[in-house]
Amino acid sequence: MTLVDGAAAQLRVVHALALRETKTRFGTHRLGYLWALLEPAFWIGTFYALYALAGRHTPGGMDLVPFLAVGIVSYELFSKTADRGSAAIGANKALLFYPHVHTIDLIAARTVLEAATYVMVFVVIVGAHALAVQELVVDSLLRTLWGMALASLLGATLGLVLCSLTVVSPTVERMKGPLMRPLFWISGLFFTAESLPSRARDVLLWNPVMHCVEIVRDGWFPQYTARHASASYVLAWIVALAFAGLTLERAVRRKVEVT
Amino acid sequence: MIELRDVTKTYSTTAGPHVVLDRLSFLFSDRVSVGILGRNGAGKSTLLRILGGAELPDAGRVLRSGRVSWPIGFAGGFNGSLTGEENCRFVARIYGAEIDVVVEYAQAFADIGNYFHMPVRTYSSGMRARLAFGLSMAIDFDTYLVDEVTAVGDKLFQDKCKREFADRRERSSVIIVSHQIATIRDYCDIFCVLRDGRFHVFEQIKEAERAYKAA
Repeated sequence: MTLVDGAAAQLRVVHALALRETKTRFGTHRLGYLWALLEPAFWIGTFYALYALAGRHTPGGMDLVPFLAVGIVSYELFSKTADRGSAAIGANKALLFYPHVHTIDLIAARTVLEAATYVMVFVVIVGAHALAVQELVVDSLLRTLWGMALASLLGATLGLVLCSLTVVSPTVERMKGPLMRPLFWISGLFFTAESLPSRARDVLLWNPVMHCVEIVRDGWFPQYTARHASASYVLAWIVALAFAGLTLERAVRRKVEVT
Repeated sequence: MIELRDVTKTYSTTAGPHVVLDRLSFLFSDRVSVGILGRNGAGKSTLLRILGGAELPDAGRVLRSGRVSWPIGFAGGFNGSLTGEENCRFVARIYGAEIDVVVEYAQAFADIGNYFHMPVRTYSSGMRARLAFGLSMAIDFDTYLVDEVTAVGDKLFQDKCKREFADRRERSSVIIVSHQIATIRDYCDIFCVLRDGRFHVFEQIKEAERAYKAA
């Protein structure tokens, strides 16, 4: 088998898995897609109401709906990818029956699906807002997507690590929720790095998710520049997590019981 | 062709390690069908998963050439929330086969009526086996790995399976594991008894039967 054949087979498997995941994630009727939209929309609605009630303004005069959408969608993209990735084996044991389906393929398929879903969700939300206010200004679409790609890869590699750890110890699955929840509040969804006092900023910027959110925000809003966000910092995390995840996957591969 | 070289597989149990396959070496040649007899828990299904590549041995090597099927049996490989058809489309895709051809063939062979368009979780075990069998027949494999499955279904279905394999004898072989002699008798050229992680090979079913019953 040449490298090209191998790559083609891999793509075929990931493609087939992604289609299948679409059906199992959203259900077989089309209305299922609505649910993917509903959760972030609910969060945005809640915080919109809270901001309005408290009379709070966004930093730098950014529009509230896109401001919340940038933070919440980027974060959800990261956390859902990690979450779905970490549960990939448990939900798909039957598939490892087919020798050319590997853990990596399951996670790749789920990552692709989450990325496509949340990019769509983002488009729908900011699109609806743009229609409502009759204005759409995007600073750099490429940079926006770059930030989302980083969030997605960060989630995927974290998912790979968690997925392999779950094989050894199911406790990981239970610890995941409580450990991830604080990230929702400290990843810059409701504040910007620029608006923080420098001491708090130095601490919070250890969190790579915050960098992703900042990059997306920088890309979207012409009036915002994320001077403290670093793509290479996120990439370093991604490489480290990928290295750990792939090593762990190798180590536990024999322990996965195919039933 | 599949060759096993010193394949060892151990499961850990509360009572200590349980050796399922013990330095097993065997050559499954092309177009020679092999029937493997073993008691429940002798490691038959494990052996099939290792042959297919779904599970890795602890030690030793498995060499394959040609297309080898997944272990065809009652369980595994299907997603319960998807319909029979959707499952067939998925498998056709990962094996790079013509989707419509596979679906049509599997549907005709399984012959489960409208259930083909129902979620697989609503199937009886017989129906699942029929679908698994039809689906695997729709994709051309050089070696079929079969886990008891031909023992299910009514006489009509069993005859259909036998005819199908007889037609393919020239291009494919089959490796069947079972705990009963009747299942493998009509399909195989040579017979093995799997006991204590080792193979005992027989050319004649009678000898295999005697050895199997003696244990």
